Amino acid sequence: MRIEWWILLSAYVVGIGLLFFIPKNKIRLAVVAFLFKQVITFLFGLVVVELVLIEYPVRLFPSINRTSFTFEYFFFPIVCAIFNVWYPNGRSTLIQWGYYVVYSSILTILEVIMEKHTNLIKYVNWEWYYSWITLCLTFYFTRLFCIWFFKKGRLASMKP
Amino acid sequence: MLMERLILVAMWLFGFVGFILFIPRKDLRKGFMAFSIFQSITWLCNMFSFNYGLLSAPVREFPKATDLAITISYLFYPVLFSIYYVHKRVEWSFWSRFGYFFVWVFIVTLFDNVIERYTDLLEYGFLTWYGMWMYIGFLFFISQVCCNWFFKDKSLFQTEQLRLNEN
Repeated sequence: MRIEWWILLSAYVVGIGLLFFIPKNKIRLAVVAFLFKQVITFLFGLVVVELVLIEYPVRLFPSINRTSFTFEYFFFPIVCAIFNVWYPNGRSTLIQWGYYVVYSSILTILEVIMEKHTNLIKYVNWEWYYSWITLCLTFYFTRLFCIWFFKKGRLASMKP
Repeated sequence: MLMERLILVAMWLFGFVGFILFIPRKDLRKGFMAFSIFQSITWLCNMFSFNYGLLSAPVREFPKATDLAITISYLFYPVLFSIYYVHKRVEWSFWSRFGYFFVWVFIVTLFDNVIERYTDLLEYGFLTWYGMWMYIGFLFFISQVCCNWFFKDKSLFQTEQLRLNEN
């Protein structure tokens, strides 16, 4: 089997493994983060491929889909769920910013390594820091959404 | 081609307007959960059904990026499901809940069939009209089970809310 397929397979294995790091009392938070991230990646994954910014030569469902189903449907949303579940609430701003930087950097580094050495992803009109910035932003938007979703007092949260 | 484009624009419009008009503000969270659960399940199921030629979308929004019908599976049907779910009541008897489900699935299937017959937005391959009926029924049912699980335990839901806010 080619190295690309091993990486895709390991993305599923690692993703499922990460599920065990979600505490039982935060399953719903994880679900909301996972689903909201999917809403974002579903559309933006399509847009970047349609505008020929990124290509995914080796992928699942190759005949009908030119985007990376594994990473957009499964892996990024799971990482986002973990991100929200372990978010350092109430810690200093520096630690919170550092938390964003660490997550986005790890994912970007993995992506750059795959871009250089495998056929899973090819940057056409794309730079690594675009990935880094969009990852930071999507983590931030998902975080905002989760805070809104679990805000105490339904009526209070309805005020502008 | 023009008609298909107009229908797509209309679906986006009705999707947004429908979500704003028919989801009461107090049920916004419920509506959103139903929307994204249905979207997630449809995304996965459509991958398989388009891959194995059950149906196809000749005219579509992202022709280069995907063969899937995005407006329908990303926005329009998820909004319809979320309107369905938010207005469903647990107090209803089994038969009224069943009838409510049946009528919604029937109308969505009818709409899907009309789209298939008169436009190039959808094209059934191996799928027949009753196949689509079962497919949509399946999607509605599974999504409903997942949503019910999510909102099942009110007390659990609230402790999670508290925990997140205390931190």
